[in-house]
Amino acid sequence: MQIKKILLADDDIDDRTIIKNFFDKKSDVWLFPFAENGTEIIDILNKIEDTDNLPDLIILDQNMPRMNGKQTLLQLKHTERYAHIPVIIYTSYKDHKLVTDCFALGAAMIESKPSSYYDYEDMLNNFLAIIR
Amino acid sequence: MEAKKNYSQLAEENEHLRLQLDEANETIEAIRTGQVDALVVKGANGHELYTLKSADQSYRVFIEKMIEGAVTLNRQKVIIYSNSRFAEMVNMPLSKVIGLSFETFIATNDNDFFSALFDKGFAEDCKEEIILEGNHRTTPCQLSLTTLDLDEGIALSIILTDLTTQKETQRQLKLKNEELEKINLELELSNIDLQQFAYVASHDLQEPLRKIQLFSTYLKDKHLHDLPLESQQHLERIISSSYRMKSLIVDILNYSRLSADNIIFEKTELKNIIDNLLEDFEEPILEKKAKIIVGELPVVEINPGQIRQVFQNLISNALKFSKAEKVPVIAITSKRVEDFAFNSKENKEGNFYIISVKDNGIGFNNKYDKQIFTLFERLHSKDKFDGTGIGLAIAKKVIEQHNGIIMATSIEGEGSEFIIILPATQVQ
Repeated sequence: MQIKKILLADDDIDDRTIIKNFFDKKSDVWLFPFAENGTEIIDILNKIEDTDNLPDLIILDQNMPRMNGKQTLLQLKHTERYAHIPVIIYTSYKDHKLVTDCFALGAAMIESKPSSYYDYEDMLNNFLAIIR
Repeated sequence: MEAKKNYSQLAEENEHLRLQLDEANETIEAIRTGQVDALVVKGANGHELYTLKSADQSYRVFIEKMIEGAVTLNRQKVIIYSNSRFAEMVNMPLSKVIGLSFETFIATNDNDFFSALFDKGFAEDCKEEIILEGNHRTTPCQLSLTTLDLDEGIALSIILTDLTTQKETQRQLKLKNEELEKINLELELSNIDLQQFAYVASHDLQEPLRKIQLFSTYLKDKHLHDLPLESQQHLERIISSSYRMKSLIVDILNYSRLSADNIIFEKTELKNIIDNLLEDFEEPILEKKAKIIVGELPVVEINPGQIRQVFQNLISNALKFSKAEKVPVIAITSKRVEDFAFNSKENKEGNFYIISVKDNGIGFNNKYDKQIFTLFERLHSKDKFDGTGIGLAIAKKVIEQHNGIIMATSIEGEGSEFIIILPATQVQ
């Protein structure tokens, strides 16, 4: 069974807790330590020497300080080493422009943050489906 | 009756009449060519003196009496004639004015300007503004120059119009305009502020609201039956309030995003928008067994998305506020009219359309006819009818941005009519 490595950035502790609880229950998923903004994501990625150890999926919250989801997406897709990794953006407010822009930049998915636990589970399962 | 006159008598009479006729013709000719100033006529009451009001005399009186100052200058810029008004304007007795150089009344640094104007005046009629410097009195004037053909040679006539009042009015107008501009700018800034505030507030409010919904629904799903009955109800109330808050925030966001700056108009078939909406409303229409009548609808220059929202709100209201015991009938009709008025005459070539959405629902008291368009204004409690009360406020804002008007009229218990006037085309 291949272990999927997921790297997540979110500055909100509640969302991080819910997501951690979900993925901890999945035996084929390993979660990187959380990043809280785009700059931290880049730092973490740069420290990984072996390309085999790069994450299989990167999930980014849109509203983060210093470097938000869209900005991080841009940088990732412009860095040869990381461009191939699927990136998902999830956000409190999914407006038309954000969706268009992120897809144009090469995001694999853009989702709204759910307001119920069941919707959360559905959403995270959908995320997993991209790399399973 | 006289005895018949003989030939020589008649010839004499004829000669006499001919001489009279010649004299009369000569007199008329003399009068016409201005050779005589007065006539002494031997009449029934003795000699009578008649003076002639020549055209010249009438003009002299006219120039004397008019409000403008008038001077005649010779080639040396000397005032050879002036009316009393000019003397008044420069605050000098008329007798002193005549014979002075007109330059006396021009400021030194305007001298070159006036000399150039003076020369120009001999070539063609012209008008210019200048400051007239009188005796302890300064007057801004408009000079109107034209040449006069006098016996003594060509002279320059100048009519002076006092611009003092005009200048003062202009100054005040400018001040008022500047004030207005300033207020407008402040208003615009305030508006942008408000829009930004509404946008940011709604945006940022959504996050904590999401958390409330997330955790309260989780609590309900996992632990509702662990709670005492009263707490269960409290939990339900928390959840339903959070949903209400969500609707309000979404509505505020939509309302605040209605900005006039980036509105794009395009010629649109209104019928398509309505048909599309009726498809969306298929379920509630079937449910209420409502009958929708759509009349002939025009092509108008509008922002389709925004106008769609307007009719969505109006149709939604018409369906929502229907009477339970009656089959709801909603009529959407239009007519082309001449003027921008609700009672305007119909005109196939008119520049405006009046569109009406009429229902036979519960109606409302006409005294609320303006209030209902206020933001978040509701006439019924939340329990009876759902809704945040923003629908009509949005409709009003959109219609106004389309340079139109919306109004409502109703008979409580019988139904309501919402009437919109829209210009057929927009200036972009």
